[in-house]
Amino acid sequence: MYRILPWILPATALCGWGLASNLGWVPPYLLPSPGDILDTAGIYIFGTDGQGPYAGRFARDTLASLFRVGLGFGLATVCGLILGVWSGRVPAVARLLNTPVNGLRAVPGITWLPLAMVWFGIGLKTTVFLVALAAFFPIYLNAASGAAQVNPLLLQAGAMMGVDRIRGTFAILLPAAMPAIVTGLRLGLGISWAYLVLGELSGVPDGLGAVIMDARMLGRIDMIVVGIILIALMGQASDWLLKNALKFCFTSAARQI
Amino acid sequence: MNVLSDAFVSSPVLDVQGLSKVFTGSSEQTPVLSGLNFQAWPGEFICITGQSGCGKSTLLKLLAGFIPPTAGRILFKGKSITGPGPDRCVVFQEDALFPWLTVAENIGFGLKGKALSAAEKQSRVNRFLDLVGLTEFKDYLPGEISGGMKQRVALARILVLSPEVLLMDEPFAALDARTREQMQNLLLSLWEQLKQTIIFVTHDVREAVTLSDRTMVMGRITGEAIITPIHLVPIPLERPRIQSSREFMELAAQINSPNK
Repeated sequence: MYRILPWILPATALCGWGLASNLGWVPPYLLPSPGDILDTAGIYIFGTDGQGPYAGRFARDTLASLFRVGLGFGLATVCGLILGVWSGRVPAVARLLNTPVNGLRAVPGITWLPLAMVWFGIGLKTTVFLVALAAFFPIYLNAASGAAQVNPLLLQAGAMMGVDRIRGTFAILLPAAMPAIVTGLRLGLGISWAYLVLGELSGVPDGLGAVIMDARMLGRIDMIVVGIILIALMGQASDWLLKNALKFCFTSAARQI
Repeated sequence: MNVLSDAFVSSPVLDVQGLSKVFTGSSEQTPVLSGLNFQAWPGEFICITGQSGCGKSTLLKLLAGFIPPTAGRILFKGKSITGPGPDRCVVFQEDALFPWLTVAENIGFGLKGKALSAAEKQSRVNRFLDLVGLTEFKDYLPGEISGGMKQRVALARILVLSPEVLLMDEPFAALDARTREQMQNLLLSLWEQLKQTIIFVTHDVREAVTLSDRTMVMGRITGEAIITPIHLVPIPLERPRIQSSREFMELAAQINSPNK
Protein backbone atom coordinates (compact mmCIF):
# COMPACT_ATOMS: atom_id res chain seq x y z
CA MET A 1 0.00 0.00 0.00
CA TYR A 2 2.74 2.41 0.99
CA ARG A 3 4.57 1.69 -2.27
CA ILE A 4 1.63 2.68 -4.49
CA LEU A 5 0.92 5.90 -2.57
CA PRO A 6 2.96 8.14 -4.94
CA TRP A 7 1.01 6.86 -7.96
CA ILE A 8 -2.52 7.30 -6.64
CA LEU A 9 -2.94 10.96 -7.60
CA PRO A 10 -1.44 10.67 -11.12
CA ALA A 11 -3.52 7.52 -11.79
CA THR A 12 -6.73 9.20 -10.58
CA ALA A 13 -6.05 12.24 -12.77
CA LEU A 14 -5.43 9.97 -15.75
CA CYS A 15 -8.72 8.08 -15.17
CA GLY A 16 -10.64 11.35 -14.80
CA TRP A 17 -9.05 12.68 -17.97
CA GLY A 18 -9.88 9.52 -19.96
CA LEU A 19 -13.45 9.55 -18.68
CA ALA A 20 -13.94 13.24 -19.52
CA SER A 21 -12.60 12.71 -23.04
CA ASN A 22 -14.68 9.59 -23.73
CA LEU A 23 -17.89 11.10 -22.44
CA GLY A 24 -17.26 14.24 -24.47
CA TRP A 25 -17.13 16.61 -21.49
CA VAL A 26 -14.11 18.38 -23.01
CA PRO A 27 -13.69 18.86 -26.76
CA PRO A 28 -10.48 17.39 -28.27
CA TYR A 29 -9.27 20.79 -29.46
CA LEU A 30 -8.96 21.83 -25.79
CA LEU A 31 -7.73 18.52 -24.35
CA PRO A 32 -7.17 15.44 -26.54
CA SER A 33 -7.86 11.99 -25.05
CA PRO A 34 -5.08 10.01 -23.33
CA GLY A 35 -5.05 7.57 -26.25
CA ASP A 36 -4.36 10.35 -28.76
CA ILE A 37 -1.60 11.69 -26.54
CA LEU A 38 -0.03 8.26 -26.38
CA ASP A 39 -0.14 8.00 -30.20
CA THR A 40 1.44 11.44 -30.58
CA ALA A 41 4.12 10.56 -28.04
CA GLY A 42 4.84 7.29 -29.87
CA ILE A 43 5.28 9.09 -33.18
CA TYR A 44 7.36 11.83 -31.56
CA ILE A 45 9.69 9.33 -29.93
CA PHE A 46 9.83 6.42 -32.41
CA GLY A 47 8.36 7.81 -35.64
CA THR A 48 10.12 8.25 -38.98
CA ASP A 49 10.00 11.13 -41.43
CA GLY A 50 6.68 11.39 -43.27
CA GLN A 51 4.61 10.76 -40.12
CA GLY A 52 4.04 14.46 -39.56
CA PRO A 53 6.16 17.42 -38.49
CA TYR A 54 7.26 16.01 -35.11
CA ALA A 55 7.99 12.42 -36.08
CA GLY A 56 11.13 11.03 -34.50
CA ARG A 57 12.38 14.37 -33.20
CA PHE A 58 12.49 13.29 -29.55
CA ALA A 59 16.14 12.27 -29.36
CA ARG A 60 17.41 15.42 -31.06
CA ASP A 61 15.21 17.75 -28.96
CA THR A 62 16.07 16.02 -25.71
CA LEU A 63 19.78 16.07 -26.38
CA ALA A 64 19.62 19.77 -27.24
CA SER A 65 17.68 20.52 -24.06
CA LEU A 66 19.90 18.34 -21.87
CA PHE A 67 22.97 20.10 -23.24
CA ARG A 68 21.52 23.53 -22.40
CA VAL A 69 20.39 22.48 -18.94
CA GLY A 70 23.74 20.79 -18.28
CA LEU A 71 25.74 23.82 -19.32
CA GLY A 72 23.60 26.34 -17.42
CA PHE A 73 23.30 24.18 -14.31
CA GLY A 74 27.02 23.39 -14.38
CA LEU A 75 27.89 27.08 -14.56
CA ALA A 76 25.50 27.86 -11.72
CA THR A 77 26.95 25.02 -9.64
CA VAL A 78 30.55 26.20 -9.98
CA CYS A 79 29.74 29.85 -9.20
CA GLY A 80 27.06 29.11 -6.60
CA LEU A 81 29.08 26.61 -4.57
CA ILE A 82 32.32 28.59 -4.50
CA LEU A 83 30.70 31.95 -3.72
CA GLY A 84 28.12 30.39 -1.39
CA VAL A 85 30.58 28.47 0.81
CA TRP A 86 32.91 31.46 0.83
CA SER A 87 30.22 33.90 1.93
CA GLY A 88 28.92 31.37 4.48
CA ARG A 89 32.31 31.33 6.21
CA VAL A 90 33.66 34.87 5.74
CA PRO A 91 31.37 37.62 7.10
CA ALA A 92 33.02 40.29 4.92
CA VAL A 93 32.25 38.29 1.77
CA ALA A 94 28.67 37.78 2.93
CA ARG A 95 28.32 41.53 3.50
CA LEU A 96 29.75 42.24 0.07
CA LEU A 97 27.56 39.74 -1.81
CA ASN A 98 24.26 39.57 0.05
CA THR A 99 22.83 42.94 -1.00
CA PRO A 100 23.31 42.48 -4.77
CA VAL A 101 22.33 38.81 -4.63
CA ASN A 102 19.10 39.53 -2.77
CA GLY A 103 18.32 42.43 -5.09
CA LEU A 104 18.82 40.34 -8.23
CA ARG A 105 16.93 37.42 -6.69
CA ALA A 106 13.82 39.59 -6.43
CA VAL A 107 13.82 40.12 -10.21
CA PRO A 108 11.71 37.43 -11.93
CA GLY A 109 13.82 35.45 -14.39
CA ILE A 110 11.47 36.17 -17.25
CA THR A 111 12.31 39.89 -17.13
CA TRP A 112 15.84 39.01 -18.17
CA LEU A 113 14.59 37.48 -21.40
CA PRO A 114 14.41 40.68 -23.51
CA LEU A 115 17.82 41.82 -22.30
CA ALA A 116 19.36 38.38 -22.80
CA MET A 117 18.02 38.25 -26.37
CA VAL A 118 19.64 41.61 -27.13
CA TRP A 119 22.91 40.56 -25.52
CA PHE A 120 23.20 36.97 -26.68
CA GLY A 121 20.77 36.64 -29.60
CA ILE A 122 18.37 33.73 -29.98
CA GLY A 123 19.61 30.29 -29.10
CA LEU A 124 22.09 28.50 -26.90
CA LYS A 125 23.69 31.46 -25.11
CA THR A 126 20.41 33.10 -24.07
CA THR A 127 19.02 29.82 -22.76
CA VAL A 128 22.19 28.93 -20.87
CA PHE A 129 22.30 32.44 -19.41
CA LEU A 130 18.72 32.20 -18.14
CA VAL A 131 19.19 28.69 -16.75
CA ALA A 132 22.46 29.58 -15.01
CA LEU A 133 21.05 32.77 -13.54
CA ALA A 134 17.95 31.06 -12.16
CA ALA A 135 19.77 28.01 -10.79
CA PHE A 136 22.49 30.11 -9.15
CA PHE A 137 20.29 31.53 -6.38
CA PRO A 138 19.11 28.34 -4.65
CA ILE A 139 22.59 26.79 -4.97
CA TYR A 140 24.30 29.90 -3.57
CA LEU A 141 21.83 30.48 -0.73
CA ASN A 142 21.78 26.87 0.46
CA ALA A 143 25.56 26.50 0.27
CA ALA A 144 25.96 29.76 2.23
CA SER A 145 23.54 28.80 4.99
CA GLY A 146 24.91 25.25 5.11
CA ALA A 147 28.49 26.49 5.47
CA ALA A 148 27.48 29.13 8.04
CA GLN A 149 25.64 26.60 10.20
CA VAL A 150 28.42 24.03 10.44
CA ASN A 151 28.91 23.23 14.13
CA PRO A 152 32.02 25.23 15.15
CA LEU A 153 33.02 22.37 17.45
CA LEU A 154 33.68 20.19 14.40
CA LEU A 155 36.15 22.74 13.03
CA GLN A 156 37.75 23.18 16.48
CA ALA A 157 38.03 19.42 16.79
CA GLY A 158 39.77 19.34 13.42
CA ALA A 159 42.16 22.13 14.39
CA MET A 160 43.20 20.39 17.60
CA MET A 161 43.81 17.15 15.66
CA GLY A 162 46.28 19.02 13.52
CA VAL A 163 44.12 19.53 10.42
CA ASP A 164 45.22 22.50 8.30
CA ARG A 165 42.87 24.95 6.59
CA ILE A 166 42.72 23.23 3.20
CA ARG A 167 42.09 19.75 4.58
CA GLY A 168 39.65 21.28 7.06
CA THR A 169 37.65 22.72 4.17
CA PHE A 170 37.44 19.49 2.19
CA ALA A 171 37.37 16.95 5.02
CA ILE A 172 35.18 18.81 7.55
CA LEU A 173 33.47 21.95 6.23
CA LEU A 174 32.10 20.63 2.93
CA PRO A 175 30.99 17.21 4.28
CA ALA A 176 29.27 18.93 7.21
CA ALA A 177 27.49 21.34 4.85
CA MET A 178 26.66 18.54 2.40
CA PRO A 179 22.93 18.13 3.23
CA ALA A 180 22.31 21.84 2.55
CA ILE A 181 24.48 21.75 -0.58
CA VAL A 182 22.51 18.79 -1.95
CA THR A 183 19.21 20.59 -1.26
CA GLY A 184 20.48 23.65 -3.14
CA LEU A 185 21.65 21.59 -6.11
CA ARG A 186 18.34 19.73 -6.37
CA LEU A 187 16.33 22.96 -6.20
CA GLY A 188 18.69 24.51 -8.75
CA LEU A 189 18.31 21.62 -11.16
CA GLY A 190 14.51 21.75 -10.86
CA ILE A 191 14.43 25.44 -11.65
CA SER A 192 16.87 24.85 -14.54
CA TRP A 193 14.16 22.91 -16.40
CA ALA A 194 11.67 25.74 -15.89
CA TYR A 195 14.04 28.32 -17.32
CA LEU A 196 15.11 25.99 -20.10
CA VAL A 197 11.59 26.11 -21.50
CA LEU A 198 11.51 29.89 -21.10
CA GLY A 199 14.79 30.22 -23.01
CA GLU A 200 13.64 27.85 -25.74
CA LEU A 201 10.32 29.64 -26.15
CA SER A 202 12.33 32.53 -27.59
CA GLY A 203 12.51 30.75 -30.94
CA VAL A 204 15.28 28.16 -31.12
CA PRO A 205 14.73 25.39 -33.70
CA ASP A 206 15.15 22.38 -31.40
CA GLY A 207 14.56 21.42 -27.77
CA LEU A 208 11.59 20.31 -25.71
CA GLY A 209 10.53 23.91 -25.02
CA ALA A 210 10.84 24.82 -28.70
CA VAL A 211 8.56 21.92 -29.67
CA ILE A 212 5.89 23.16 -27.27
CA MET A 213 6.04 26.68 -28.68
CA ASP A 214 5.98 25.36 -32.24
CA ALA A 215 3.00 23.10 -31.50
CA ARG A 216 1.06 26.03 -30.07
CA MET A 217 1.43 27.93 -33.34
CA LEU A 218 0.32 24.88 -35.33
CA GLY A 219 -2.59 24.27 -32.96
CA ARG A 220 -1.27 20.84 -31.97
CA ILE A 221 -2.62 20.61 -28.41
CA ASP A 222 -1.67 16.91 -28.27
CA MET A 223 1.97 17.77 -28.92
CA ILE A 224 1.93 20.45 -26.21
CA VAL A 225 0.68 17.90 -23.68
CA VAL A 226 3.33 15.39 -24.78
CA GLY A 227 5.98 18.09 -24.29
CA ILE A 228 4.72 18.89 -20.81
CA ILE A 229 4.71 15.25 -19.77
CA LEU A 230 8.18 14.65 -21.18
CA ILE A 231 9.59 17.67 -19.34
CA ALA A 232 8.01 16.42 -16.11
CA LEU A 233 9.61 13.01 -16.66
CA MET A 234 12.99 14.50 -17.55
CA GLY A 235 12.88 16.69 -14.44
CA GLN A 236 12.10 13.69 -12.24
CA ALA A 237 14.74 11.53 -13.87
CA SER A 238 17.45 14.17 -13.65
CA ASP A 239 16.65 14.83 -9.98
CA TRP A 240 16.92 11.12 -9.23
CA LEU A 241 20.19 10.89 -11.16
CA LEU A 242 21.66 13.94 -9.42
CA LYS A 243 20.73 12.69 -5.95
CA ASN A 244 22.15 9.23 -6.55
CA ALA A 245 25.27 10.49 -8.29
CA LEU A 246 26.02 12.68 -5.26
CA LYS A 247 25.39 9.78 -2.90
CA PHE A 248 27.65 7.60 -5.02
CA CYS A 249 30.49 10.13 -5.13
CA PHE A 250 30.42 11.43 -1.54
CA THR A 251 30.09 9.32 1.63
CA SER A 252 29.02 12.49 3.44
CA ALA A 253 26.03 12.67 1.07
CA ALA A 254 25.31 8.95 1.21
CA ARG A 255 25.26 8.87 5.02
CA GLN A 256 23.48 12.15 5.71
CA ILE A 257 20.62 12.28 3.18
CA MET B 1 71.02 10.65 38.05
CA ASN B 2 72.68 13.97 37.29
CA VAL B 3 71.28 17.40 37.98
CA LEU B 4 70.31 18.11 34.36
CA SER B 5 68.04 15.10 33.84
CA ASP B 6 66.53 15.70 37.25
CA ALA B 7 65.57 19.19 36.21
CA PHE B 8 64.13 17.83 32.97
CA VAL B 9 61.99 15.25 34.73
CA SER B 10 60.58 17.78 37.13
CA SER B 11 59.71 20.53 34.64
CA PRO B 12 55.98 21.23 34.29
CA VAL B 13 54.04 20.20 31.18
CA LEU B 14 51.81 23.23 31.48
CA ASP B 15 52.96 26.42 33.15
CA VAL B 16 50.27 29.08 33.47
CA GLN B 17 51.72 32.48 34.28
CA GLY B 18 49.64 35.53 35.19
CA LEU B 19 46.84 34.43 32.89
CA SER B 20 44.00 36.91 32.39
CA LYS B 21 41.06 36.86 30.04
CA VAL B 22 38.64 39.71 29.46
CA PHE B 23 35.77 39.29 27.02
CA THR B 24 35.06 42.53 25.23
CA GLY B 25 31.41 42.99 24.33
CA SER B 26 29.95 45.85 22.31
CA SER B 27 29.58 48.10 25.38
CA GLU B 28 31.17 46.39 28.36
CA GLN B 29 34.17 44.35 29.34
CA THR B 30 33.70 41.11 31.24
CA PRO B 31 36.73 39.88 33.17
CA VAL B 32 36.67 36.09 33.45
CA LEU B 33 40.16 35.20 34.64
CA SER B 34 42.62 37.48 36.33
CA GLY B 35 46.24 36.75 37.15
CA LEU B 36 45.92 32.97 37.31
CA ASN B 37 49.07 30.93 38.07
CA PHE B 38 49.47 27.16 38.29
CA GLN B 39 51.56 24.28 36.99
CA ALA B 40 50.61 20.82 35.80
CA TRP B 41 53.25 18.12 36.06
CA PRO B 42 53.78 15.16 33.73
CA GLY B 43 51.19 12.45 34.30
CA GLU B 44 49.20 14.53 36.74
CA PHE B 45 45.40 14.40 36.88
CA ILE B 46 43.98 17.84 37.75
CA CYS B 47 40.30 18.55 38.10
CA ILE B 48 39.00 22.09 37.86
CA THR B 49 35.78 22.84 39.64
CA GLY B 50 33.84 25.90 40.70
CA GLN B 51 30.43 27.44 40.24
CA SER B 52 29.01 28.38 36.84
CA GLY B 53 30.59 31.46 35.35
CA CYS B 54 33.88 31.14 37.23
CA GLY B 55 35.83 30.65 34.00
CA LYS B 56 36.46 26.88 34.05
CA SER B 57 35.58 26.39 30.41
CA THR B 58 37.37 29.59 29.40
CA LEU B 59 40.53 28.32 31.05
CA LEU B 60 40.25 25.07 29.13
CA LYS B 61 39.78 26.92 25.82
CA LEU B 62 42.87 29.00 26.59
CA LEU B 63 44.88 25.85 27.37
CA ALA B 64 43.66 24.28 24.12
CA GLY B 65 44.66 27.40 22.21
CA PHE B 66 41.17 28.05 20.80
CA ILE B 67 41.21 31.61 22.20
CA PRO B 68 44.17 33.90 23.03
CA PRO B 69 44.77 35.27 26.56
CA THR B 70 44.29 38.98 27.27
CA ALA B 71 47.39 39.00 29.45
CA GLY B 72 49.89 36.47 30.76
CA ARG B 73 50.95 33.30 29.03
CA ILE B 74 50.71 29.53 28.99
CA LEU B 75 53.87 27.53 28.45
CA PHE B 76 53.57 24.00 27.10
CA LYS B 77 56.88 22.25 27.84
CA GLY B 78 58.54 25.65 28.02
CA LYS B 79 57.06 27.04 24.79
CA SER B 80 54.28 29.59 24.56
CA ILE B 81 50.98 28.26 23.18
CA THR B 82 49.90 29.99 19.95
CA GLY B 83 47.02 27.80 18.77
CA PRO B 84 45.37 24.38 18.97
CA GLY B 85 47.47 21.31 18.27
CA PRO B 86 47.45 17.51 18.56
CA ASP B 87 49.74 17.60 21.62
CA ARG B 88 46.86 19.12 23.67
CA CYS B 89 43.56 17.51 22.68
CA VAL B 90 40.08 18.28 23.94
CA VAL B 91 37.12 16.05 24.73
CA PHE B 92 34.14 18.38 24.46
CA GLN B 93 31.06 18.32 26.63
CA GLU B 94 28.78 17.90 23.63
CA ASP B 95 29.02 15.45 20.84
CA ALA B 96 31.61 16.79 18.38
CA LEU B 97 32.08 13.65 16.29
CA PHE B 98 31.89 13.83 12.51
CA PRO B 99 28.38 12.50 11.80
CA TRP B 100 29.24 11.26 8.30
CA LEU B 101 32.09 9.03 9.50
CA THR B 102 31.77 5.66 11.22
CA VAL B 103 33.15 5.06 14.70
CA ALA B 104 36.37 3.61 13.25
CA GLU B 105 36.72 6.42 10.69
CA ASN B 106 36.22 9.05 13.41
CA ILE B 107 38.99 7.46 15.47
CA GLY B 108 41.28 7.31 12.42
CA PHE B 109 40.54 10.90 11.31
CA GLY B 110 43.50 12.56 13.04
CA LEU B 111 45.92 9.91 11.73
CA LYS B 112 45.13 10.66 8.07
CA GLY B 113 47.76 13.34 7.61
CA LYS B 114 50.46 11.36 9.44
CA ALA B 115 53.38 9.63 7.80
CA LEU B 116 52.36 6.12 8.83
CA SER B 117 51.66 3.07 6.73
CA ALA B 118 48.01 2.16 6.20
CA ALA B 119 48.52 -1.03 8.20
CA GLU B 120 50.04 0.88 11.12
CA LYS B 121 47.12 3.34 11.11
CA GLN B 122 44.64 0.48 11.02
CA SER B 123 46.31 -1.32 13.89
CA ARG B 124 46.35 1.85 16.02
CA VAL B 125 42.65 2.41 15.32
CA ASN B 126 41.93 -1.20 16.25
CA ARG B 127 43.94 -0.91 19.45
CA PHE B 128 41.98 2.13 20.64
CA LEU B 129 38.65 0.67 19.51
CA ASP B 130 39.51 -2.22 21.79
CA LEU B 131 40.71 0.00 24.67
CA VAL B 132 37.39 1.88 24.77
CA GLY B 133 35.43 -1.33 24.17
CA LEU B 134 33.82 -0.36 20.86
CA THR B 135 35.26 -2.96 18.48
CA GLU B 136 31.86 -4.42 17.66
CA PHE B 137 30.44 -0.94 16.97
CA LYS B 138 33.24 0.20 14.67
CA ASP B 139 31.04 0.44 11.57
CA TYR B 140 28.22 2.36 13.25
CA LEU B 141 27.61 6.04 12.59
CA PRO B 142 27.60 8.46 15.58
CA GLY B 143 23.85 8.94 15.14
CA GLU B 144 23.31 5.24 15.83
CA ILE B 145 25.13 4.93 19.19
CA SER B 146 24.43 6.14 22.73
CA GLY B 147 25.81 9.27 24.42
CA GLY B 148 28.27 7.26 26.53
CA MET B 149 29.59 5.47 23.44
CA LYS B 150 29.99 8.80 21.63
CA GLN B 151 32.18 10.12 24.45
CA ARG B 152 34.23 6.92 24.30
CA VAL B 153 34.78 7.56 20.57
CA ALA B 154 35.68 11.19 21.36
CA LEU B 155 38.25 9.91 23.87
CA ALA B 156 39.66 7.28 21.51
CA ARG B 157 40.00 9.65 18.54
CA ILE B 158 42.37 11.86 20.52
CA LEU B 159 44.18 9.14 22.49
CA VAL B 160 45.15 7.60 19.15
CA LEU B 161 47.20 10.77 18.51
CA SER B 162 49.14 10.21 21.80
CA PRO B 163 48.63 13.75 23.13
CA GLU B 164 50.71 14.72 26.13
CA VAL B 165 47.85 16.69 27.62
CA LEU B 166 44.21 15.71 27.64
CA LEU B 167 41.76 18.57 28.16
CA MET B 168 38.27 17.48 29.13
CA ASP B 169 35.38 19.93 29.38
CA GLU B 170 32.67 18.35 31.56
CA PRO B 171 32.81 15.33 29.26
CA PHE B 172 30.47 13.14 31.30
CA ALA B 173 28.01 15.81 32.45
CA ALA B 174 25.32 14.81 29.95
CA LEU B 175 25.46 11.11 30.83
CA ASP B 176 23.29 9.21 33.30
CA ALA B 177 24.83 8.36 36.69
CA ARG B 178 25.61 4.74 35.89
CA THR B 179 27.23 5.50 32.53
CA ARG B 180 29.18 8.34 34.11
CA GLU B 181 30.64 5.99 36.71
CA GLN B 182 31.64 3.51 33.99
CA MET B 183 33.27 6.32 32.01
CA GLN B 184 35.18 7.51 35.09
CA ASN B 185 36.54 4.03 35.64
CA LEU B 186 37.42 3.70 31.96
CA LEU B 187 39.22 7.06 32.02
CA LEU B 188 41.20 6.12 35.13
CA SER B 189 42.27 2.78 33.68
CA LEU B 190 43.31 4.41 30.38
CA TRP B 191 45.20 7.07 32.30
CA GLU B 192 47.02 4.45 34.35
CA GLN B 193 48.09 2.74 31.10
CA LEU B 194 48.97 5.81 29.04
CA LYS B 195 49.96 8.34 31.74
CA GLN B 196 49.08 11.61 30.05
CA THR B 197 48.53 14.82 31.94
CA ILE B 198 44.79 15.36 32.30
CA ILE B 199 43.01 18.65 32.96
CA PHE B 200 39.40 17.79 33.65
CA VAL B 201 36.70 20.42 34.15
CA THR B 202 33.68 19.37 36.17
CA HIS B 203 31.02 21.05 38.29
CA ASP B 204 30.60 17.80 40.23
CA VAL B 205 32.78 17.86 43.36
CA ARG B 206 32.42 14.11 43.93
CA GLU B 207 33.69 13.49 40.40
CA ALA B 208 36.68 15.75 41.09
CA VAL B 209 37.56 13.91 44.32
CA THR B 210 37.07 10.51 42.65
CA LEU B 211 39.41 11.28 39.77
CA SER B 212 42.07 13.84 40.51
CA ASP B 213 45.50 14.12 42.09
CA ARG B 214 44.77 17.77 42.77
CA THR B 215 41.54 19.69 42.47
CA MET B 216 41.57 23.34 41.56
CA VAL B 217 38.66 25.32 42.96
CA MET B 218 37.99 28.49 41.06
CA GLY B 219 36.13 31.48 42.44
CA ARG B 220 33.90 33.93 40.69
CA ILE B 221 35.08 37.36 39.68
CA THR B 222 32.61 40.22 40.07
CA GLY B 223 33.46 43.70 38.87
CA GLU B 224 37.04 44.56 39.75
CA ALA B 225 37.43 42.46 42.86
CA ILE B 226 38.22 38.78 42.88
CA ILE B 227 35.88 37.41 45.52
CA THR B 228 37.41 33.96 45.91
CA PRO B 229 40.97 33.29 44.88
CA ILE B 230 41.71 29.88 43.48
CA HIS B 231 42.63 26.97 45.71
CA LEU B 232 44.52 23.86 44.76
CA VAL B 233 43.46 20.99 46.99
CA PRO B 234 45.62 17.85 46.91
CA ILE B 235 43.65 14.60 46.99
CA PRO B 236 46.02 12.16 48.72
CA LEU B 237 43.68 9.14 48.61
CA GLU B 238 44.53 5.73 47.18
CA ARG B 239 42.65 4.68 44.06
CA PRO B 240 40.05 3.22 43.68
CA ARG B 241 38.41 5.73 46.02
CA ILE B 242 35.38 4.97 48.08
CA GLN B 243 32.85 7.77 47.91
CA SER B 244 31.29 6.84 51.27
CA SER B 245 34.61 6.97 53.18
CA ARG B 246 35.18 9.68 55.78
CA GLU B 247 38.30 11.07 54.10
CA PHE B 248 36.44 11.35 50.79
CA MET B 249 33.60 13.29 52.33
CA GLU B 250 35.94 15.59 54.24
CA LEU B 251 37.80 16.44 51.05
CA ALA B 252 34.55 17.04 49.20
CA ALA B 253 33.40 19.35 52.00
CA GLN B 254 36.73 21.18 51.92
CA ILE B 255 36.37 21.75 48.18
CA ASN B 256 32.79 22.93 48.57
CA SER B 257 33.83 25.65 51.04
CA PRO B 258 37.54 26.19 50.51
CA ASN B 259 37.80 29.26 52.78
CA LYS B 260 37.27 27.32 55.99
